[in-house]
Amino acid sequence: MAGKKKPERADVCIIGAGASGATAAKVLTESGLRVVALEKGPWRKPESFGGDELANANRYNLWPDPILNPRTFRHSPQEDPKVELFCPVPQMVGGGTVHWTGWVPRMTVNEFKQETIYGEVDGASLKDWPITYEDLEPYYDKVEWSFGVSGQAGANKYEGPRSRDYPVPAMRPTRYAQKFHEGCAALGYNSFPTPMAMLSRPHNGRRATVQSAFVQQHGDPTGTKSTALTTFVPDAVATGRFDLRSDCYVHEITVDERGRAKSAVYQDADGDFVEQEADVFMLACGAMESARLLLLSRSVRFPNGLANGNDLVGRYLTLHEYSAAVGVFEEEMYGWAGGGYVSGSTFEFLEGSQDNGFVGGSHVAAAGVGVPLPINFTMPDQPAWGQGMKDADRELFNHSMAVGVCLHDLPQYENRLELDESVKDAWGLPVARVTHKAHTNDIQQGRWIIDKNVEILDAAGAKKSWPVYIDRITGNASHQHSTIRMGTDPRSPSSTSGARPTRWRTSTPSTAARFRPRPGSTPP
Amino acid sequence: MNEQRSTERLFFDEHQWATVEAAMSRIIPTDHQPGAREANTTGFLDRYLSGIEYVYAKPDGSGFEKLSGKRAEAWRQRIEGLRKVYTEGIAEMDRRSRELFGDDFRALTEGQQDEVLGAMESRSGMDEGEQEEHQVAAGYGAPEEEAEPAMQQTLNESDLLFFPLLVLHTRQGFYGDPVYGGNRDRVGWEVLGFPGPESMAEVHSGRYSTLPYFAESTDHGEEAADGR
Repeated sequence: MAGKKKPERADVCIIGAGASGATAAKVLTESGLRVVALEKGPWRKPESFGGDELANANRYNLWPDPILNPRTFRHSPQEDPKVELFCPVPQMVGGGTVHWTGWVPRMTVNEFKQETIYGEVDGASLKDWPITYEDLEPYYDKVEWSFGVSGQAGANKYEGPRSRDYPVPAMRPTRYAQKFHEGCAALGYNSFPTPMAMLSRPHNGRRATVQSAFVQQHGDPTGTKSTALTTFVPDAVATGRFDLRSDCYVHEITVDERGRAKSAVYQDADGDFVEQEADVFMLACGAMESARLLLLSRSVRFPNGLANGNDLVGRYLTLHEYSAAVGVFEEEMYGWAGGGYVSGSTFEFLEGSQDNGFVGGSHVAAAGVGVPLPINFTMPDQPAWGQGMKDADRELFNHSMAVGVCLHDLPQYENRLELDESVKDAWGLPVARVTHKAHTNDIQQGRWIIDKNVEILDAAGAKKSWPVYIDRITGNASHQHSTIRMGTDPRSPSSTSGARPTRWRTSTPSTAARFRPRPGSTPP
Repeated sequence: MNEQRSTERLFFDEHQWATVEAAMSRIIPTDHQPGAREANTTGFLDRYLSGIEYVYAKPDGSGFEKLSGKRAEAWRQRIEGLRKVYTEGIAEMDRRSRELFGDDFRALTEGQQDEVLGAMESRSGMDEGEQEEHQVAAGYGAPEEEAEPAMQQTLNESDLLFFPLLVLHTRQGFYGDPVYGGNRDRVGWEVLGFPGPESMAEVHSGRYSTLPYFAESTDHGEEAADGR
């Protein structure tokens, strides 16, 4: 700790300055508390981002570098885990909101009570949330207005009651969104402009979002997209009570003699170890890293990590798997316009039924194909090289679109995140090991929905369409949930009443880790 | 503009350069429109393999970022691994060429080169276990069954065998931003019909907008077109 003073104790210490951490920082600092946030990655300014697909999609400019931050994955405990970049999210101030396009539909009323609706499902553990849509509605409203979300109230017939409209109108439709709406209309499906974290008009002193082609997987150099970096972080900083320390990697949460969270021990940019004390600690590092930090925080008193007396931390890990039906049209779709995800959506397939052979369902929305440029993507069933590949790129790329699904898998006890003691990250800490196997319910759901998506494309007049089925869950959407589930029963889930983890009172995960099963609608 | 104009070699020797250029020219051939050769995909790759000086363009396109610390170490390690794959892969391609047609790959006819590439693609020299260990670049679904599942947002180059890596780098050099030395005169974008930004600076400054390519019905959102 070469000459570094121990920092002053804070009211609240938030670990992770992404979507959850920045939101908490804004609320807490505006209510008068002194907040320290410890962020593992850098605090990048909008000017540091560019329209550079090679850097962003291929060279880990935003994604964690797997040489420095590996994870391991296996389908079952019998398999040897493989090192891979499983379900990556940018590790920097702003977190996942840096790389996203920002689809932000609300969860429906029913998504909060799936155990009530679907009952027991073999091999899965559906639970109702301990809160309801009505509880959350005022907060949805607050976030939509302060963060800046575009949308059209009432357009989604499955949405719960709203206290008011969106702050700005829906985005102007892209050609692929328009085509999607036409297909849905022809089949009698309700569809709506995807609510997006973008401004169709100036709002809150911010200008309208610039519609570049370099959006998804790209940081926004103009700072006009709604992200934690452009909204809640500056709001918290403006209070004068927010101390955001970037490049500070928390290795563990220590506990005092009574077993209460005492401090966060982190390594700063110089490699020095620093101890930050606070009255309250909040974990906001996403579902995977929040669970990993609890597991890394081992002590004599809690040898299996914090809040893990019941061996439930890291269990019931669920993901979103993105796949699509792909269609080609006579006219140009310009799938790269708006970056490929200024979309139209439908919730018609959000609630499955036993009649279909599965429960649950997912959000379906339009998108471009291989956007903004087909560097890493070729069209289905096309040659992988040679004249045939070039012809396919030339003839299909501008004329294609996808109707995609964010398939939310069922929570299962054996699908979990643990520490992998045999693989260390560049700081010497054991990495996250994921064990995950899709439930047959999920594979059936995927097939059924992708077939429906083909029908939408065909009804919209596609010349040709292809289903791209999901045969396993790979975490490709970078959406992760449910490793530290909320609950009211102190014996079963890893959390207790007041939504706090068992036997560990002063730490509150505030991240997608807390999600109960299956928000099929909302990419967190 | 920082486009690479020269054919100065930074990593490949003359023979390796000519071999890679011949192979890339079969992966994206020249027809009535430019192909990999005109796009300078070989120069793009040579520069990528030259070290860690050309990993990230500055976001406004005015040069390249200097890497330091752990990031630099990781990239040195990655580039070293890629160099090995290329050095061995090129030698293997020549070995097969001599075995099948009695000459180095670069000296073969286009038809013969395609046969050698096909053999490299099928990886007939590997047993199934070895094949399982490696993934191929797939995207929306290459025909191979062992392909990486469709639609991964990220693709780890270090997992790729020589041939799929060569295909991926050909596509990168053809469709990536010209600042990296490929896609010369934006010929790759011309083939696709992607109008694209004039430069990275146009994106960086917020002047670049795709709104003219949205649907024609315009209820709202017009402010964004000139909203600066």
